[in-house]
Amino acid sequence: MTSGAAGRPRLALAGALGLLAGAGLLGILVGGVHLSLPALWSGAGAEGEAARLVASIRLPRVALAALVGAALSLSGAAMQALLKNPLADPFLLGTSGGAAAGAALASLAGISPLLSPAAAFAGAAASSVAVAALARRGGRLDLQRLLLSGLIANAFFSALLLGVFSVASASAARTMLFWMMGSLADASFGKVVALLPWAAAGAAVLLLYAARLNLLAVGEDSAAALGVDTERAKRQVFVAASLLTGAAVAFAGIIGFVGLLVPHAVRAVAGNDQRRLLPICAVSGAALLVAADALSRAVFAPAELPIGAVTATVGAPLFAWMLLREP
Amino acid sequence: MSPDASSGTPRIETRGLRALYGRTEALSGLDARIPAGEIVAILGENGSGKSTLLKVLARIRPPSGGEILLDGAPLLSQPRRETARRVAYVPQSVELVFPIRALDLVLQGRAPHARGFSADSPEDRARALDAMKACDVLDLAERDASALSGGETRRVFLARAVAQEAEIWLLDEPTAGLDPRHRLEFLDVLRRRHLESRRTVLLVTHEVDLAARIADGVLLLRRGRTLASGPPDAVLTVDNLRRAFDVEFREGPAGLQAAALPDRPPVVR
Repeated sequence: MTSGAAGRPRLALAGALGLLAGAGLLGILVGGVHLSLPALWSGAGAEGEAARLVASIRLPRVALAALVGAALSLSGAAMQALLKNPLADPFLLGTSGGAAAGAALASLAGISPLLSPAAAFAGAAASSVAVAALARRGGRLDLQRLLLSGLIANAFFSALLLGVFSVASASAARTMLFWMMGSLADASFGKVVALLPWAAAGAAVLLLYAARLNLLAVGEDSAAALGVDTERAKRQVFVAASLLTGAAVAFAGIIGFVGLLVPHAVRAVAGNDQRRLLPICAVSGAALLVAADALSRAVFAPAELPIGAVTATVGAPLFAWMLLREP
Repeated sequence: MSPDASSGTPRIETRGLRALYGRTEALSGLDARIPAGEIVAILGENGSGKSTLLKVLARIRPPSGGEILLDGAPLLSQPRRETARRVAYVPQSVELVFPIRALDLVLQGRAPHARGFSADSPEDRARALDAMKACDVLDLAERDASALSGGETRRVFLARAVAQEAEIWLLDEPTAGLDPRHRLEFLDVLRRRHLESRRTVLLVTHEVDLAARIADGVLLLRRGRTLASGPPDAVLTVDNLRRAFDVEFREGPAGLQAAALPDRPPVVR
């Protein structure tokens, strides 16, 4: 029990960094064409050049996977602490439904697919604002109502999505499917650069609130009595977590299980001090998604599996196993 | 409360304090004066505003009207952290969803003093450990607080209040749900801490005999207002209690007790 409550954050951070390095290497080497490390590193002539070319194409995809994985894990960990619920996940609060609906409506309206991340982001923002407004009661953000409002938003948006799906053209339907299953196939450095500031801003706010999240995880009243402006803290954390989720969904679609699985696993090793948990979650989430993406390209190469299917296929049994071995 | 309580500046004074609990009014114009250094028990039936009063004083809930003075100065115009350095709140019961080491829970008491609420300097740790020792929970320091018994948890939260170094402690039903041994252990620790540090203690309780025994003063509430306040002997009269609780009280072996239940008939052999 002792190690369960206090944890070993240094070990966990070292492990996560190691995993991220390994996953990054895997992400560059495997895929439709498998590369060898020597050819990539010191290969001369056509073989080495080809290897470096393939690697340079894969690099933005690895970077995007890392950013998206980090954003989803951070968002999940923060929502779990805020809602005092280990089952909270970034997609629980309606952000993802809003994003998918935004992208779907844009493609239905014939707006260029280049703008669909912006449409998805707008949908995520609109949904988050609506959910927060619905959850307000007597001037306070009621956390129980927040969960229910998220549920309502997701139900509404998935109905909307199905409606759009049934009348959409083949190409629009394909775009929507991309959002619903998650994909990193269209990764580019441009997308990485576009995602980075949003992800960094969300992460910075959450890290700033890490110590207060520790107090909130014991209880709202308890935190307020220790001097935390709880209304402000709840609002800021909700906005930052929604920002991270919305940005991730805008560029990669809905990728489930990462935000649920990673914080749970990291907590088991590193303990529940948010000041350490959050950075370790970011690194571990990045590693997990990079590895899952490599897997999605390698298993049925040259065909690709949808990344959302991979994370759920790997994540669900892993989660079940963790659940079973808990005391 | 001591006879001269009315002359000096009280530690806490409320004037016409109003507060809502959900949509109903829990405090409806409460006037109270709490002298420094005393243990004051707050009594009253369910819904009389006891817990709401503590939450408003701890700045967990904002009042909807009235004034609170702390040493004569308005409490609500202070920064929240300033209040948290002066007022510590011990919640009634807390559901800990995630594991947390008992020492880390006590360290939270240092958060109002720390930069960015991030307290884990060696000095903070030393104070937290001292507080745990003073509350007889030092041996639990490394244990997971979510797995402690009710009595242990209450003492760990009391240690958090001690580590907070606040001059006022607000305790919400600290002995509710404890078995007699844990209840006595908690009260023993509380009394020792109080004798040593002379903090001002406000404790909400349903136990009339407890109030009579450990409190220096009693604040009896009815429907969000003060029904009576003063030394236990003066306040805890059969008449006042009947008005506060709508039941008859009478003198029993353990002090005043509700008399609604008839005595057990004598056993006939």
